[in-house]
Amino acid sequence: MPEEPRDPNAPQRPDLPAWPPSWAMSDSPQSPSGPAEEPAQPAAAEPAPEPAAAEPAPAEPAPWAAPATPEPVAGEPAPAADEPAWAPEWTTPEPAAAAEPVGYANEPETVPPHEAPTSQYEAVPPVAAAGAAGAAAASSASEPPAEEPPRVSVVNEPEEHADEEYRYHNSPKRSAGVPNAIEFVDVHKAFGRNEILKGLNMGIPEDKISMILGPSGTGKSVCIKHMVGLLYPDQGDVIVHGESVPNMTDDELFDMRKRFGVLFQDGALFGSMNLEDNVAFPLRQHTDKGEEEIREIVQRRLAEVGLSGSWDKMPNELSGGMRKRAGFARALVLDPDIVLFDEPDSGLDPVRTALLCELIEEIHQENGGAYVVITHDILSAKRVAEHISVLWRGRIVESGPAEELFNSDNPFVRQFLSGESQGPLGME
Amino acid sequence: MGGPSAGWTAVPRDWFASFGEIVKFIWGVLKQILDLRVFKFSGEVLRQAGLIIMSSALVIWVLVFVVGLQCGIEGAYFSRAVGAPANAGTFAALCNLRELVPYAFGWMMAAKVGTGIVAELGSMRISDEIDALEVMGIDSITFLCATKLLASWLTLPFLYVMAVGAGFFASYLAVVEQIGEVSSGGYFLLFWMFQNPPDLLFSLAKAMAMATIIVLVGCYYGYNASGGPVGVGTATAKSMVLNLVMVHLIGMLGTQVFWGGNARAPIGG
Repeated sequence: MPEEPRDPNAPQRPDLPAWPPSWAMSDSPQSPSGPAEEPAQPAAAEPAPEPAAAEPAPAEPAPWAAPATPEPVAGEPAPAADEPAWAPEWTTPEPAAAAEPVGYANEPETVPPHEAPTSQYEAVPPVAAAGAAGAAAASSASEPPAEEPPRVSVVNEPEEHADEEYRYHNSPKRSAGVPNAIEFVDVHKAFGRNEILKGLNMGIPEDKISMILGPSGTGKSVCIKHMVGLLYPDQGDVIVHGESVPNMTDDELFDMRKRFGVLFQDGALFGSMNLEDNVAFPLRQHTDKGEEEIREIVQRRLAEVGLSGSWDKMPNELSGGMRKRAGFARALVLDPDIVLFDEPDSGLDPVRTALLCELIEEIHQENGGAYVVITHDILSAKRVAEHISVLWRGRIVESGPAEELFNSDNPFVRQFLSGESQGPLGME
Repeated sequence: MGGPSAGWTAVPRDWFASFGEIVKFIWGVLKQILDLRVFKFSGEVLRQAGLIIMSSALVIWVLVFVVGLQCGIEGAYFSRAVGAPANAGTFAALCNLRELVPYAFGWMMAAKVGTGIVAELGSMRISDEIDALEVMGIDSITFLCATKLLASWLTLPFLYVMAVGAGFFASYLAVVEQIGEVSSGGYFLLFWMFQNPPDLLFSLAKAMAMATIIVLVGCYYGYNASGGPVGVGTATAKSMVLNLVMVHLIGMLGTQVFWGGNARAPIGG
């Protein structure tokens, strides 16, 4: 890998030896940390003319190399003993982790060759790093490499073993302190050979804004379709207000659905009707209200979502955000007990997303009910979520009140809620 | 798994599976009408009826008119060639009522109504509109498919009879006004001699069988469309192929059943 020019003003990392190491600088007699004074020098420092001598002799300990068995330092944790095994070998150490153990430092032999210059630092165990820190910080002559953002390879990810698939799914499922409006009980669902839900157990609390978060393709939208009986589980049960959805007759199912309002990703407005007729549709089908009363309700709902001036527009005349808001108005028009939002933020700019989140919050405060928002947008979750369930690989990793989830110590939840590229979740 | 035999049986197996799915779907739609559930959406039935009349009637009549002209011209020249120009009316009667008007009606229904239904339902499916209907507590099969079928049953007989009239009028124009080998009275004498009211009913039966199949096949392919816009296009093409096959099958079977054993015409004494 070609070396990047280093910024001489870049902050010095105290846990790392100075750059460049003495073996790499034939005209630099020693490194500031002092190991160049030790007798064992790489051959590169010798005046020998052979090109092969430019490589450090493998049998001799390099001046920057870690001791074979580092001494534990009192007050410091043992290096790497309890670090998660998921850490890819080629990752760079975190800048803030100077005094912390670096678990992947023990696996330098698997570092891809093209990352070799970085991996030298990973080979430094914490004790050696701590020892070098003072000297390195005192030096201004040689600078450490400029800090680069952590990088993840998306093409050579390590294969995960099948029995390790759920090692992060062991966090508690905390109760929200209120009864559940919807419950998933050991739900399995497969499409052909592709198993989406693999024993999902999840509760959606009554009268709260709940968010189901998770990476793309983990079954969030499939969850919504199970809640309203558009899909049935292959195994397990889905319970809405104490009634089993898969065991309902068609008539019971259609009655149950009247208690739901669903906002689909693109609003799912009927293309053959204008906005007013779209919002009025459920009222005309399910109530005996007169046309005057229906129009009044529709206008009120459209005003709530800021679309009272667009009542006569067709869906194809509306922007994406307007279609979502119109879909929201239609979802609310029957005063449902449960409102489901399937990725309300998809395709919206951050400001429109924020406004839509505020709208969801306001209308929930006004109407109450169980609101379920499916998303993978963390900002939206921070804005409106009262209860969060994190879904991955067809099961819940962790669920509970939002503030507890944002302070979770589960590596997957931590990575997902902070949007980091490093962690259990890769591109697979 | 599977050998060479599994390979060649796979295609017919898929055909049977698809056929079974279509039959099951068709029964589901018909049941909604027989159970009278479709009348919960009588407003939608009327809307669909209006759409059929407004969007399809004129184009069907124009097509049938053109076909009627052709029947008249061909009949006039053929009958003149055998020295019996008055028999142009015979040819026009049989050609129009029994064969070409039902076929022209079926073709245009498949092209205009059938593909329109697939495109409409297919785009509703991929944009979640059908799911939206379901989650509002509305049976989408009843609302979208049964209403269309009932609307076609209500409107198409009248539309078809009008189409037959357009064909007859075109043949009259071609034989009497354009070629002029036979008088109006001579033309109508044989024209009406070679058809009677049951023939009109049989012709109508053929046309309505075609229309019913076309609407149901269109509903099936549109309702079950998947795979985005490309999937809707594929479903439209598939429905067109199946509809044309069915139109010709019904045309052939209808002719065999209604006139195959008895010409129902004063031919050969």
